[in-house]
Amino acid sequence: MKKKGLSMLLVLMVLMAVVSACGSSGSSSSSDKETNQAPAVKSEGNSDTAEPKASGEEVTLTYAMWDSNQAKGLQTIVDEFEKENPGIKVKIEVTGWSDYWTMLEAGATGGSLPDVFWMHSNEIYRYASNDMLLDLSDRIKNSQKVEMDKFPTGLTQIYNFEGKQYAIPKDFDTIGLWYNKTMFDEAKLAYPNENWTWDDLYKAAKALTKNGKYGILTPFHNQEGYYNFVYQNDGTIITADKKSGYDDPNTIEALKYYINFIREGLSPEVYGDSERAEAMQNGLAAMGFFGSWNLSGFTANEYMAKNFDVAPLPKGKKQATIFNGLGNAIAHNTKHPEEAWKFVEYLSSKEGQFRQAELGIAISAYDGAAEQWVSSNTTFHVKAFVDMVKYAVIRPYSNTTAVWEDKAYEALKPAFTGQQTVEEAAKNAAKIMNESLATEK
Amino acid sequence: MTNARANRISKSMLNEWYWGWFLVAPTIVGLIILNIIPIGQTLYMSFFKSGDFGKGNLFVGFDNYRKLLSDDQVWHAVKNTLLYAVMVVPTSIVIALIAAVLMNGKLRGKSLYRTIYFIPMIAAPAAVTMVWRWLYNTKFGLINYGLSKLGLGPVDWTTDPNVALVSIAIIGIWSVVGYNMVLLLAGLQEIPRDYYEASEIDGAGKLRQFVVVTVPLLSPALFFVLVTSIIQAMQVFDVIYMMIDIQNPAYDNTVSLVYLFYNNSFKYSNKGYGSAIVMLLLAIIMIITVIQMRAQKKWVKYM
Repeated sequence: MKKKGLSMLLVLMVLMAVVSACGSSGSSSSSDKETNQAPAVKSEGNSDTAEPKASGEEVTLTYAMWDSNQAKGLQTIVDEFEKENPGIKVKIEVTGWSDYWTMLEAGATGGSLPDVFWMHSNEIYRYASNDMLLDLSDRIKNSQKVEMDKFPTGLTQIYNFEGKQYAIPKDFDTIGLWYNKTMFDEAKLAYPNENWTWDDLYKAAKALTKNGKYGILTPFHNQEGYYNFVYQNDGTIITADKKSGYDDPNTIEALKYYINFIREGLSPEVYGDSERAEAMQNGLAAMGFFGSWNLSGFTANEYMAKNFDVAPLPKGKKQATIFNGLGNAIAHNTKHPEEAWKFVEYLSSKEGQFRQAELGIAISAYDGAAEQWVSSNTTFHVKAFVDMVKYAVIRPYSNTTAVWEDKAYEALKPAFTGQQTVEEAAKNAAKIMNESLATEK
Repeated sequence: MTNARANRISKSMLNEWYWGWFLVAPTIVGLIILNIIPIGQTLYMSFFKSGDFGKGNLFVGFDNYRKLLSDDQVWHAVKNTLLYAVMVVPTSIVIALIAAVLMNGKLRGKSLYRTIYFIPMIAAPAAVTMVWRWLYNTKFGLINYGLSKLGLGPVDWTTDPNVALVSIAIIGIWSVVGYNMVLLLAGLQEIPRDYYEASEIDGAGKLRQFVVVTVPLLSPALFFVLVTSIIQAMQVFDVIYMMIDIQNPAYDNTVSLVYLFYNNSFKYSNKGYGSAIVMLLLAIIMIITVIQMRAQKKWVKYM
């Protein structure tokens, strides 16, 4: 009897355990991979979560985002918006980057998307092509406040699907060359400037590498790493007709230059995201590449604030930096489309965009607002990020970016560890990426 | 006559049945809704090329399974998962058994030790992994610092393909020992003192007592711990997910089946293929468990 009971129990446990693996892994992965991010889900602002009544007295919108660094500043904007628009409340909900998309997908599948939320170039296709987002085209046309031509075309284009505008750019980000002033001073080298070339970078890296310190950090990272160099060398990651650019000779040449820093021992081999920041914050490497979104984290870091500054990326055959921008989108099935639009309209208006820049939340995409942002940070010469916009290249994307980006990572890995030549790895990456792109709709 | 008697019996039986079903109903309902139905849905899903947001699923028959068979990464994951289980399960059970026997004896501050051993079980895996990541850090980690004091070179705990899985197994062992220990401790306390007294009179020493009394009488508890540990080990995910990115050179040597399932289902939005991977995991666990159920006749002794 006892034995039978035990075996029954075990069978049930097997079933339960296996299936709960499917069920829970989505949600149990709650904590973010990036160390410096806030708790996975954090809601700020109004304690007033009461559902709006049919009377139309008060409407509560949810505004979902993934960057806790921006949430505080945006709360200020929300507060101001609420003051001007009595009857509309906005509740900010922050979820870490990787869980954000799991959350959003579950919301889209179950019909419970947040009213207003951030969109990204990697994901826009899926949401737009499946009608998950509210088409904003007509509303933009009729709006007095939103002028699409005040935003960089590349950015508005990301969120335009089959002629319909599904999101409005909120901000943009570029990649800068961060350098350790103290280490440069010790080596009696001049600081990097906007006229630097690849040769200058190489020479400085060489001069700075000594006593167990590295001159530069060339991490295994695309957007904050080799993508920039590929475009500086006239190479490409994805061509206009959706083919991989990894077998382009210029791309390979750029990768060789980039990986050579590791081979010559001028850069440590770094793979993880948090390890990259660590290497800078511990004075292990004198130069590194980081996006403008790291700014608040770096400003808060005592060592970085004291020793570091930022310059534009060096010039290869031409100047280039990867830039990208997220957009504000509205759910297709929001209960309050008018109120949600009012909020997005405000965020995208000249007033809202300048306010965002002034508060230092992010580099506002609106024409001229970026200068406001520059003066919000006095710790570093952040103007470099804005100066680079004129030659910035949109982060390469297609309909299934998340898939082929990872495939390319896997294929390029042996080149970074030195198990394969750069040429072989890059050609392999091109092959795998093309296979993946071929299955794209 | 006979009819009346049958009636009477069935009445009391019926009553018992009603109560029986009534009492297990919450569990059964929970199981069906949360487990049995999802298993069916996962199986169903594994025959489809999933569309976005649950719309436009396309029936593809066994395509996902065919792809599975030719996917190197899946077989890496099977190997890694099994290897992880082989490293974690025996080690953790042996340590847990030793700890349980010690805790069961006369020891000062027993309950304090029990608490300490159990703490890793309560801590959130994500938080635990963050702490271990710092310990393992190549340049600034405590472990490598200790090694350097001993005159040993630094070890790339999380990026060396030959070491990373061991590092993960160490965390796995560390987290599960306390839980196994509590289960074994419960088993130990079920063993009547009489057996020990009898064997002592017969002249058995401590070690012999352990072999002929403790282990056989503990075998049901050991069996339970063994089966659940293997199942748990086969599902390893959190630690690897937290510690190993796709860029990590040790990725191929550490990726587990559940991690692969997660990546395919949620990162690449290919739920059909993800489901097929989970069905493979289910099959593997089922096979291992069936073998264990058969083998238990040989070594598990129920009192």
